[in-house]
Amino acid sequence: MLALSYVRSVPRYAIVKAAAGRGRIATSELSMLHLGDVPEPLLPGPQWRRVRPSLAGICGSDTAAITGHASLYLDHLTSYPFVPGHEVVGVLEEDGSRVVVEPALGCQVRGLTPPCRQCQAGWPGRCENVTEGDLEIGLQTGYCASTGGGWGEVLVAHESQLHRVPEPLSDEAAVLIEPLACCVHAALRGAAGDTVVVVGAGTIGLLTVAAIHRLAPPRRLMVVAKYPFQREQALRLGADVVVGPDEALQRIRFQTGARRLGGKTDSILLGGADVTYECTGTAFALNQAVRFTRAGGHLITVGMPGAERVDWAPIWQRELTVSGAYAYGLEAGGRSSFDIALELAPELELEHLCGPLFPLSGYRDAIDYALKAGPLNAVKVAFDLRDLRV
Amino acid sequence: MTATPWSDLDLIRRGWHWGLPRPQTWAPAAPGVPDRASNLGWARAEPVRSLRFLIQRGLLLPFTRLVADPKVEGSEWVKDLERPVILASNHVSHADTHLLLYALSQRTRERTVVAAAADYWYQRPWLGRALSLGLNTFPFSRTGGPAAVLHSSSELLKSGWNLLVFPEGTRSQDGRLQPFKPGVGHLATETKAPVIPVYVSGSHRIMPKGQRIPLPAPATIKIGRPLLAGRAEGSRAFTSRIEAAVRALSGAVRTDASSGTWIDRWQAAAPKARPLR
Amino acid sequence: MGRPGAVLEVDRNTPPTLFHFGEGIRLERLPIGSRILYPPDPLEALGHPERAIRRALAHPLDDDPLKSLLRAGMKLTIAFDDLSLPLPPMAEPDVRQLVMEEVIEMAAEAGVEDIHIIAANSLHRRMTADEIRHIVGDRIFTTFYPERLYNHDAEDPDGNVVVGTTAEGEETTLSRRAAESDLVVYVNLTLVPMDGGHKSMATGLGSYRSVRPHHNVHTLLGSRSYMNPPDSALHHACNRQGRLIEDTVRVFHIETSVNNHSFPAAANFLQKRETDWTLGDQAAVFTMKQITDRTPVALKRAAFHSMRAPYGLTGVTAGQVDAVHERTLAAVTRQMLVEVEGQTDIVTMGLPYLGPYNVNSILNPVLVVCLGLGYLFNLYRGRPVVRQGGVVIMEHPCRYEFDSVQHPSYIDFYDEVLADTTDPALIEERYEQRFAEDPWYRQLYRNSHAYHGVHPFYAWYWAAHALSHVAEVIVVGGERQVVHRLGFKAASSLEDALEIAEQTVGRWPSITHLRTPPLLLASVG
Repeated sequence: MLALSYVRSVPRYAIVKAAAGRGRIATSELSMLHLGDVPEPLLPGPQWRRVRPSLAGICGSDTAAITGHASLYLDHLTSYPFVPGHEVVGVLEEDGSRVVVEPALGCQVRGLTPPCRQCQAGWPGRCENVTEGDLEIGLQTGYCASTGGGWGEVLVAHESQLHRVPEPLSDEAAVLIEPLACCVHAALRGAAGDTVVVVGAGTIGLLTVAAIHRLAPPRRLMVVAKYPFQREQALRLGADVVVGPDEALQRIRFQTGARRLGGKTDSILLGGADVTYECTGTAFALNQAVRFTRAGGHLITVGMPGAERVDWAPIWQRELTVSGAYAYGLEAGGRSSFDIALELAPELELEHLCGPLFPLSGYRDAIDYALKAGPLNAVKVAFDLRDLRV
Repeated sequence: MTATPWSDLDLIRRGWHWGLPRPQTWAPAAPGVPDRASNLGWARAEPVRSLRFLIQRGLLLPFTRLVADPKVEGSEWVKDLERPVILASNHVSHADTHLLLYALSQRTRERTVVAAAADYWYQRPWLGRALSLGLNTFPFSRTGGPAAVLHSSSELLKSGWNLLVFPEGTRSQDGRLQPFKPGVGHLATETKAPVIPVYVSGSHRIMPKGQRIPLPAPATIKIGRPLLAGRAEGSRAFTSRIEAAVRALSGAVRTDASSGTWIDRWQAAAPKARPLR
Repeated sequence: MGRPGAVLEVDRNTPPTLFHFGEGIRLERLPIGSRILYPPDPLEALGHPERAIRRALAHPLDDDPLKSLLRAGMKLTIAFDDLSLPLPPMAEPDVRQLVMEEVIEMAAEAGVEDIHIIAANSLHRRMTADEIRHIVGDRIFTTFYPERLYNHDAEDPDGNVVVGTTAEGEETTLSRRAAESDLVVYVNLTLVPMDGGHKSMATGLGSYRSVRPHHNVHTLLGSRSYMNPPDSALHHACNRQGRLIEDTVRVFHIETSVNNHSFPAAANFLQKRETDWTLGDQAAVFTMKQITDRTPVALKRAAFHSMRAPYGLTGVTAGQVDAVHERTLAAVTRQMLVEVEGQTDIVTMGLPYLGPYNVNSILNPVLVVCLGLGYLFNLYRGRPVVRQGGVVIMEHPCRYEFDSVQHPSYIDFYDEVLADTTDPALIEERYEQRFAEDPWYRQLYRNSHAYHGVHPFYAWYWAAHALSHVAEVIVVGGERQVVHRLGFKAASSLEDALEIAEQTVGRWPSITHLRTPPLLLASVG
């Protein structure tokens, strides 16, 4: 089948890393990414199905892996070569029904009984058995050599990974269900607060805003957004105040009535936001966030960071609670993040966030676009594989 | 529609009718807004004066402050001057002029010309012009006879310019005061201008003779009360009096009356009877 | 003897007009038929200022000579106007220094031990040590600073006392030190008719509570204009408060007036009438324009703010406040008055780099509005120069730049309040209290050098009359986004601005240009 594969190679990794994030080099012949004919993945067991992706999104974690920005920590949890793509809406080969894939490869998917305590509690993203079972190592479909991924003609998925897409929801909206589920999970992880700040208004930032607004609305929801299109969407999805990154500290100071110490580049607030959702994963934003979240407040990192350098002194002195929010699972009330996401999706008009669609053959342009989505007024860039189906 | 220098020049040329007689509709200018006549040289004409203002305020004075953080004592003697004065100072380094100009009030500084040795500074024309522009110097001949030397200086004084001179004639090697040349006494007796003695200390650490780069070091400028030549006093006698005054300043310590009530402090800080009324 | 204020009608031969443009200048050709208002030439300064001061103190109006009021063992407080006057700042020696030195000399002779000298800065920022030294001079500074020479702190809960409430219900407070003194000597410098009189004590040593009754939109809309006290509701309120203060504390007012010699000799051409310009002046203007067009803003700002004006003292009067102020106003009016026949459709003005609230600092967009639509618009007597429903065209670069030390509340005012609305009444209703009571602004006002949290509101209210009077405001040369945030239209050149204005005032509008600084007072008949 035609697919984009990611191969493991130290020299190629070195070249891409040296290019420091340049898209053209990270997708060139010298990179880890190959477009070509690869064997289709085999069904690991009777409960597995073949899925043909219709649309597969390009996520920040994918671009981080491609440009060498992702932390090497994740290398231990990945098997190579893999086909990337974990934000998938496709059709079941057997009956043509539309499904969305929940990528986490937990104990149930791996055919392991009894499940580990994390999977038992309903958190497949935290599974401790990702090295065992019917599959090779991998946290998710799209980072595992056995399953294939969204950026290929065919992938295999366990029954429990499949969620039916209701008819009124278009493919363009459904491709955002997986990130929305992550953001729903993040929103429910944070305590409700008076003033909540969401830093970053890319896909994760905007969907976090939407989730917070509907599931745990605070008195005041502030969003730090860099680009005009992002600001528009943030306001549409429920933000009260949208500010730019340079004026974030000053505006938060005003809204929370805090005091500000320090100069232009290095200020801290005495007081500040109650809960901050950090959705960019960059060192700059993280360091800023620990300075404007009030002492005793809660900082949730939703966006995938690399090996960022963060000053821990503010975290210590301000007694901040820092939580990671990765993937999804069983939320309070017994419902899964994916189900909540599917429920919220129709009213959010997610199609507006689905940016240009590219064919697999145009992967170099697609990834370049995804790397520059902000200034190009796009949010989610995706591959369109519908033409590959005959 | 962006303005270029040429379009600005064109606008001015046509706007003010260069080459044409003044239109009737322009009422003649009143003497109302005073425009003091300047004299002797391009460096004291208008556009240069504004440029000097910018250069001094924007560059030279802040730089002087940065390098030396000068302390000024006796600044009340150079404020509110009613007639042009001669400032006679010791000379240790090239930084002296900058420090002295720093110590003056803006109004006094605007009206001050500095005597710079013609044979040293004005040998190279560009250096002389740069100095005239930035510091308002004029060439002062060290080698000519008294008449030539003093003519331009007295002209400037009579036109209303304060004159800053270094009567030692050259920079002191060891920091000690060298004997004053008689020119300053001559000038004072001829023009009846008051002489204000000034002593600059600390400049030998900033830029001693032989060193090209100024190094930061604190400096103090002490200004003394003005001296007037007596009716029958000869120029040489007056010169030695001026020299004594400058020498006295070098050792003078300002009494800091920190005791007593504010009234004692107030009276201690009073300027002595001003002779210039 | 200088010429009086003049109205010049532009004809084919009239040279271009100099417009101030922030830290720079522009030369504009006004359309034929426009009028240019020129202030009078500087009045002759007094020959011997110290003598005049001594005479005024010895022969005050409606009061006893100062010497007789001073006796050993008394509590004496001297209050003086802060550095929002005069503009540009005065070259040394400042007239307030000369007056205060005489007063303190008398106090020393009388043996008065308990003296405090307070800068009556009201809700303006605290002055730095250098700035205080510049006003009072070295002698006073070294003798009294810092225990007995300091800035008034309007937010000190123990340092301000309530003096009473006027008949109209205006609460009046005063600095505790002043209220408890046996004698307060107020040293004033009246630059424009708005200053001085009862306003000195009532606002200078007041607090937010005492200033709020008249610094509000309603009062300012009723002040037409506040540059002409008889027609000003602001001054009526201040007078009521002032009389209450006079009943509580013995005050000896010393008021001074200066001529309008606003620029140092090097920059004289900025003041000269264009028809008087010599070739030297033209060259100076050309050079200045080329340099200021190309220099970075910070450098230009430093150069401009270092200019000191060689003002000459034109009058000093002492004694009872009403009698003194009448005399002072006459002197000020004589220096500023221009007789104008009839209103115009369009008024144009070039805004300089300096207003009362940004000495040694940045003229941020809010202050641009305060200067142009506040102060310059209101320099009239009778009727505004521009007709109701007319257009104001101002020239200023209007950059988005704020001084975070001096104007922290201005930044938030621009970002938060103006983003919501530019209507002064709505602004007052929704936001004023929050800014006035914000503890952070209060801390910065009391400990740093920041204007009070509520100050940007006053800057905006100052323009309330203009905003309700004119139909349109156009800013030439300003940053588009900033101008739009302020609620105005942006144009790149004066010609374009006039064309935009045609929409409002029609094809052949009458235009008047205010050639200021130096400041002028237009008496519109």
